[in-house]
Amino acid sequence: MPALARTSADFLDAIHADVWHAHALANAPLPVLATGEVALDAQLPGGGWPVGALTEILQPPGVHSEWRLLLPALARSGLGLVLLVGAPHLPFGPALAAQGLALQRMLWVTAQSVASRLWACEQALRCAEVNAVLAWLPQARSEQLRRLQMAASEYSKLLFVMRPEAAQTEASPAVLRLHVQPQSAQQTGVSTAQGVDGLDIQLLKRRGPPLEQPVQMQARCAPLNVLLAAQHALDRSTSHA
Amino acid sequence: MHWIAVQATPKQTGALAAGEVALADEDSALAWWALRFTPVVARVEAALVLEVSGSERLFGGRAALLQQLFASGPPAVVLEHAQGDTALLALGRLWAQAPDAPIHALPLHSLAAARTHLPTLQRLGCSTWGQLRKLPRGGLARRFGAELVDALDRAYGTRPELFPWLTLPEVFDTPLELSAAVENASALLFGARRLLAQLLVWLRARQRGVLALELLWELDARRSNALHVDAYHQGGAQGRMELRTAEATQDMQHLQRLLAEQLAQVTLPAPVLYLRMRTLQTQGLGGESLSLLPEDQRKGDSLHQMLERLGARLGPEQILCVQPQARHAPQDMQTWQAWKPQVGKRVQNLAALQPVHAALLPTWLLALPQQLLVKQHCPQYHGPLTLLAGPQRLETGWLEGEVTLRDYFVARSAHAGLVWIYRERLPTALQQTSHPENALRWFLHGLFA
Repeated sequence: MPALARTSADFLDAIHADVWHAHALANAPLPVLATGEVALDAQLPGGGWPVGALTEILQPPGVHSEWRLLLPALARSGLGLVLLVGAPHLPFGPALAAQGLALQRMLWVTAQSVASRLWACEQALRCAEVNAVLAWLPQARSEQLRRLQMAASEYSKLLFVMRPEAAQTEASPAVLRLHVQPQSAQQTGVSTAQGVDGLDIQLLKRRGPPLEQPVQMQARCAPLNVLLAAQHALDRSTSHA
Repeated sequence: MHWIAVQATPKQTGALAAGEVALADEDSALAWWALRFTPVVARVEAALVLEVSGSERLFGGRAALLQQLFASGPPAVVLEHAQGDTALLALGRLWAQAPDAPIHALPLHSLAAARTHLPTLQRLGCSTWGQLRKLPRGGLARRFGAELVDALDRAYGTRPELFPWLTLPEVFDTPLELSAAVENASALLFGARRLLAQLLVWLRARQRGVLALELLWELDARRSNALHVDAYHQGGAQGRMELRTAEATQDMQHLQRLLAEQLAQVTLPAPVLYLRMRTLQTQGLGGESLSLLPEDQRKGDSLHQMLERLGARLGPEQILCVQPQARHAPQDMQTWQAWKPQVGKRVQNLAALQPVHAALLPTWLLALPQQLLVKQHCPQYHGPLTLLAGPQRLETGWLEGEVTLRDYFVARSAHAGLVWIYRERLPTALQQTSHPENALRWFLHGLFA
């Protein structure tokens, strides 16, 4: 069959942008926004967060690493609003502003029930002046998320949905699914004691081959890193003396 | 002088096209619409007469004016019109349904002043304006009264025409009697839609946008329950709802959605028979400039529309925006307050309000600091915490009378990553006297996410 033998990359491109080789990352038909983390960009189709698609971030209970992941991208996402729907704690404005997210761009919808959170998300995605929607939806069902995914793709908005780890087993319409967890002390052993905090990012779903090894990234923002390094050096010098 | 006479054709029920909403008060809507084109508008019986020679130039000639006039007619109304050099001539042509007939050939029934004398005039053999005009004036005035001669003079343009001129009301205030008693608040929307259609005509005529309006309804006193009777005796026979928008708007779709959200939260104690809508605040509306570049025209609603819709359903206290404060205590560095349209514009000089060490603050703050368990002098949060950096000493609040003495630390939890905790210090005097364990209370105050 000569037609099947010609499965070169060019040939696949000619069929449709959504068709790709299973062993290669998709040539993103979606526009992307770089995450600001080279190691992570390399593993994401197109090299960044997909714009106009649902990205799902799963975290163990009590762990919150979303700002570390999203802030560098949000800071560069434009001038439009960033809408937080149902954040678990008070977003601390001064710290977020210092990391590049202007305060005027932030709005927080504190609705409690799932239905009103979903409704607020959908309304926000339909608004022209909104850039990104960050939603905390611990109990949303798959078909409800699909609705958001459709709205995000129609109006091409950044949409991040934060969900608990337990949702890992449920089906999801998300284009990209991540599981984020701080590196435990047992894993890294000595390095943690030296002040190297890491985040393990497991790509549960992406348009490309499955990834066995989690992507690792620094869990702290740069200024905090400098502070902790300085403190560490100070401690060592005093203990040596 | 050039006059146009306009009359709405008798209404056929069920003739509304899909998506059209009937007006609450067709007659005044027609007058308001006509006032957009000329200030000289009068009502004669069921018809309107418009003198347009003064405004022809503004609209680019008579033909262009007529085209605009009928292209932008009020919704759900079918109009017929006729023109002439005098108002009575235009009216005569309209009523005779002969738009091009010469003045002397018009039938007498199309002259309002001659209608009462029609049988007598018929017997005289007089059936057109021209024949009447040829009769001797003196005899005509003695036989039929001076009004007929005057009317004829005005129709031929030898006497000035004066009418009670119509004006636009300063405030939109229109009642509507509902065709059936409405028991359910959401069903009031159907009546309110007709009022909104009417409002749009008024707003267009005044070239204004609405900022605030109120919808009032009157309850049917005969059919009521105890709740309503109580309210009635306290002077509450009326229901009232206020609607505000952040930007002056003529977008009735948006107002209708806001109304629907608010009406969904209203319970009616008794059926409603009358509705009334009134504008509270309006603003002149400048023209909107559109961008030439296609990429500037973005898809979607405008921001204030979206936020007003959210506020209408969820309550305005649930839509928060942040305002930084120049304070030292972390919990006072920011206030999350209900979003108001002006707030976004007033925010300036935010950089000056930023603390220097802002980059070292955690991104999540706990609304209430969580007290931590202490085991062997080591604070616990999902396991023991390792102190990484600190203390950062904070002494503030002595002006407010609530002294805050805290040492902040960055700590690591094996499970939850980096956290921001503080140790409460008691004033030095108290520290020495009290039990040592009191001085070592640890709190979780933030998370480095």
